[in-house]
Amino acid sequence: MMAVKTGKKGSPTLDIKELLVMLVNEVSQINRKLDSMVESSGSILNAQEEFLERFSNKSFLEDFVQPAPDMLTLLSLPGALRKTVMACYKLQEATAEDLSRETERLRAVESACANQLVRMGFLSKRREGRKVYFYIK
Amino acid sequence: MVLGFVCVKGKVVAFHSSRGGTGKTTVAANLALAYALEGLNVAFLDLDFRAPSLFAVFSKGVRRPVKKWLNDFMHSRCSLEQALVDVSEEYAVDGKLLVGLANPSLDAIRNMMGRSRAWEAGAAKRLFSIRSSLFDDMGVDCCILDTSPGIQYSSINGVVSSDVAVVVTTLDSLDVEGVKNMLTEFYDEFEKKSVILMNKVFPQTRIWSDDKRSELVSRMEKFFVRPVVGVIPCYCDVLESKRASLLVVENPGHPFLEDLKEVMKKLECT
Repeated sequence: MMAVKTGKKGSPTLDIKELLVMLVNEVSQINRKLDSMVESSGSILNAQEEFLERFSNKSFLEDFVQPAPDMLTLLSLPGALRKTVMACYKLQEATAEDLSRETERLRAVESACANQLVRMGFLSKRREGRKVYFYIK
Repeated sequence: MVLGFVCVKGKVVAFHSSRGGTGKTTVAANLALAYALEGLNVAFLDLDFRAPSLFAVFSKGVRRPVKKWLNDFMHSRCSLEQALVDVSEEYAVDGKLLVGLANPSLDAIRNMMGRSRAWEAGAAKRLFSIRSSLFDDMGVDCCILDTSPGIQYSSINGVVSSDVAVVVTTLDSLDVEGVKNMLTEFYDEFEKKSVILMNKVFPQTRIWSDDKRSELVSRMEKFFVRPVVGVIPCYCDVLESKRASLLVVENPGHPFLEDLKEVMKKLECT
């Protein structure tokens, strides 16, 4: 129970000793809260470490950042694009002309599909003189 | 749909099934050995990285320790040639028999699981590239892939990179329905050339008349909309023998091999 004294203008004042006790209590409470925060951040760090260890082959992370023309992903692509990727797999590296010979579609169609696949990150392309070669990354 | 048969020379043929236990590996291994005995140069690759079995099937011909596994090739740690084991001498074949073995150790199996999609795309790329190494550089006549059942990367990469897939099924309704779904949802999407091989069908088909057999074949061809390259009855003694046994050399007089010859005839264009 705190002793309340009345000051000159009648406002309540606290005894210095009691004030210190109050302060100590408050600081202890802050300490407890800080401890619990440190503890939680420790658990977060542990979870983070565990996560990194579990996915150390990076496969999980790679799947997020790098689109890949794997067979199951290809199933979700429109047939027209899938056909171009399959031709690229078969030829390893091909111009739109080569692709069109393989798929028996127009060169312009292959060029459009291959460039679309480059934009989607499934194919890469390189230029050699006037020719542009498409290939699986 | 052209119900034509395919020529195996210069081809990569994948053996696949919708579920395990259809006898896919037994048929594929015996077929590879039979082709090699006939004088063809054959490469036989185990793409079932989750449940490798060729190591046991060809245990007689494989010197230990195996220096390089097919896993090493898939991980770009060696060339395909380095990952192939020549077992021609041990099986006294007229041609050549090169086997690519999947590593059966738990570590290797675990290592092949949970790979990223980018890695699987790279693996598919490597499987597409084997054609030139085998046929142009190593003088191989045909390549047979033994894949894992169902739709998983190790099997679909093999199927998609092959020239033709032989889908092995029994007459069990789960197998038949599973194959039908797989053909519609996967093979058709990739416009994959494929044929059906019926294995372990009723033992009584052995004594069926040709007409009755043809009726079963045409019913199945209509259902799967694919040619059926063979109907192999269920032989109790084959089931009772070790799955690793190679009947072609261990029991050359077995009627199973007569059925296999029929399959070979249909797979060849001659």
